[in-house]
Amino acid sequence: MELLIKNGAVYDPKNGIKGDKTDISIKDGKIVDKVSSKASVIDAGGRLVMPGGVDAHSHIAGAKVNVGRIMRPEDTRSGLKPRTKITRPYTGYTVPNVYAMGYRYAQMGYTTVFEAAQAIMKARHTHEELEEIPIIDKGALTLFGSNWPTMDFVREKNMDKLAAYVAWGLLASRGFGVKVVNPGGGEMWGFGKNVTGLDDVVPNFDVTPRDIIVSLMKVNEMLGLPHSVHLHCNNTGKPGDYKTTLASMELAKQVRPSKDRQVLHVTHLTFNAMGGTNWGDFESKADEIANFLNNSENVTTDMGQLIFGSATTMTADGPLQYANAKLTHGKWGNGDVELEDASGVVPMYYARQVSVFSIMWAIGLELALLTKDPYKVLLTTDHPNGGPFVNYPEVIALLMSNKKRQEEIKTLHEAVHKRTKIPGIERELDFNDIAIMTRAGSAKVLGLLDTKGHLGAGADADIAIYDIQPDQIDPSVEHAKVKSAFSSAAYTIKGGEIVVKDGQIVATPMGRTFWVDASVPDQHTDIMMKDIRLKFKNYYSINLANYMVQDAYVTHPNVVKAGVISVEVS
Amino acid sequence: MQTVTLKPKKEIKISVEAENISPDKFAGKTEKDIQSIEIWMGNRRTTIGELFSVKVEGSAPAADTKLVLEGDFSRVKRIGEGMSGGLMIIKGNVDMHVGAKMSGGKITVTGNADSWAGREMKGGELIIEGNAGYYLGAGYRGETCGMRGGKIMVMGNALDFVGEHMCGGEILVKGNAGILPGLSNNGGKIVIEGNTSRPGSEMAKGTIIVNGTVDEMMPVFKLEGTEAVEGVAYRKYTGDVIISGKGVLYVK
Ligand SMILES: [Zn+2]
Repeated sequence: MELLIKNGAVYDPKNGIKGDKTDISIKDGKIVDKVSSKASVIDAGGRLVMPGGVDAHSHIAGAKVNVGRIMRPEDTRSGLKPRTKITRPYTGYTVPNVYAMGYRYAQMGYTTVFEAAQAIMKARHTHEELEEIPIIDKGALTLFGSNWPTMDFVREKNMDKLAAYVAWGLLASRGFGVKVVNPGGGEMWGFGKNVTGLDDVVPNFDVTPRDIIVSLMKVNEMLGLPHSVHLHCNNTGKPGDYKTTLASMELAKQVRPSKDRQVLHVTHLTFNAMGGTNWGDFESKADEIANFLNNSENVTTDMGQLIFGSATTMTADGPLQYANAKLTHGKWGNGDVELEDASGVVPMYYARQVSVFSIMWAIGLELALLTKDPYKVLLTTDHPNGGPFVNYPEVIALLMSNKKRQEEIKTLHEAVHKRTKIPGIERELDFNDIAIMTRAGSAKVLGLLDTKGHLGAGADADIAIYDIQPDQIDPSVEHAKVKSAFSSAAYTIKGGEIVVKDGQIVATPMGRTFWVDASVPDQHTDIMMKDIRLKFKNYYSINLANYMVQDAYVTHPNVVKAGVISVEVS
Repeated sequence: MQTVTLKPKKEIKISVEAENISPDKFAGKTEKDIQSIEIWMGNRRTTIGELFSVKVEGSAPAADTKLVLEGDFSRVKRIGEGMSGGLMIIKGNVDMHVGAKMSGGKITVTGNADSWAGREMKGGELIIEGNAGYYLGAGYRGETCGMRGGKIMVMGNALDFVGEHMCGGEILVKGNAGILPGLSNNGGKIVIEGNTSRPGSEMAKGTIIVNGTVDEMMPVFKLEGTEAVEGVAYRKYTGDVIISGKGVLYVK
């Protein structure tokens, strides 16, 4: 099967193509140098062509998402679309059904999406849902930050055991990378408490969040995992939390990357660049975070942009969600995952005229606009925490148009003028910057830039064509056109197959699930497993044999190999 | 003035989702236009013309449009959903969700209305001359607000959970109401002329007046003494104390 895309205005940051008319040749699902004259042809007619979108942080599958669905039937009733000959029914806005997840991403030109948090014990549920999400490639990051074995091995300072545990945990959960959420806090929430900073000692384990983060970063690089440690900081969502965020980013300096990528990805910064001491004097500190990023090479972030309207917050940060539920007086889902973390789900409504929400809206944008290198700030909404992913085109338009931002600011609470810098920021991103923040950057952060997020030979043939001509549009003025084009791709091509045409789903192939098989010396696994077996015997409610995700749960796997390599740890 | 008369062509046995039957959807349209409006019967997509005979007199905007529904509409749901103005007379019984989310205009049901009548209503008037089912003026599953505005009057009885999650507006039940009227209320006013049981649990705001007998009180209200409302003496309670609620409950 051959396909040729002609006359596209191509943005391919990895290969240095910035809007040049370039032909793209596709054969057997991959991008190749050239195709035969038998190839079918798509004439892009000067329209915008980018690699398929890559989302490195979204909540698309698993226990939390489903708790959101269960507690929000009113959300399920929005966004209904009946089945067609090709598609199954769509439901929901903040917590869509599995089908709508895949279709809506594909309709925006996205082809790869990573679920940002699964507990090992809940991983079967995650994969059951991933197996039903059509079209896109996907994977899930596995939670390690409050797991008892993690904290035991950190206390023992036994990095070999910790590496063996991480490798085994990724296998057990068919996970792609190491997610750390409020390290230590998930354990303390079991006792109704939380950690307040990097140096609080977690009772019964005698370790600090600092120890946990640094040890997991070291082990992540020992194992040479494709992705770095992916951190949701301590104190997230509290006024003044930017100090903890900066201190956590600082830790990255202690470890050297094993690959051409960051050693620490700090996520959803809208919730982590908060100044002030309470919600009354709350202010944006995005400029301080951006300043750090501008002077550091080993940390990346994503926006977690706030979108006005309905959202469903969901995180393994149980104590944060208890605080949120107390603020909203509304619904609250609270979860405990035995030896592995906590969780919470709280619906939110972000109203424009509320000062806190106006400031949070500004934080994500400030971060993206004040950080010079777009590779360091990925475009996300931390779906559905900041808002649903279907709003990415809105975020793109905001980043590309100061005019649009100023129009928005007029509708917001006046605090946006006094407690953020957004009104005075004139920078407007271009299509190349956007292609980095939504494609090349996310693929690089995930460690998948060989095959994802670019259009060079050897890449997966995941491509989006949008209905605008970059040389004939001024995004600053015509931001509505930009938004509408990114909302509804003219073509989305996934693995060489046309899946979306004129914004409509035309084919629903099944995507692959990426997971990492990391090797460690057998003797390390043997020693580690002695401890694990004891944990199952004494504490877990289920048997070890019923814990592992079997192959039957991952029917289209894409296994990425990794394993212990020697790295210098400074 | 525009008048549209609908009659079922034959007995409707499978339930019909009729959110497209409202003055807003019919205003200014011809018989042919209205006949071609989409409607779902069970899992089958069909048209108004397939199921109903349509007669149109005159042409007018929604506010001056009157719908007359004759015959058996007891398996037709969501009639008048979201309507913003105009008049609707349903001669007989009607299925669930009549007048859901309506923001203006007036609906009169001469028979009984099934559950969820006037749910999440924002304005306008809904009059049910017979009885109402469960969750009159309430919020549908998951909603944090039921009725927010407007007025509902039931001449007969209503079943359980009248005005659950109500945030505003007024409900008057002339007969009896089932258990837990005003459950989780956050505003608005409910008047029950007849009897009921366990009114106002989890009530944060709003007012409930019961003129008949309260079979059982939930032990979550604080007795504030006696107070006269429009010349009638009531025992006045506030609560729900468990959630520091500021709801007011008047019981004879
Ligand atoms: Zn997240």
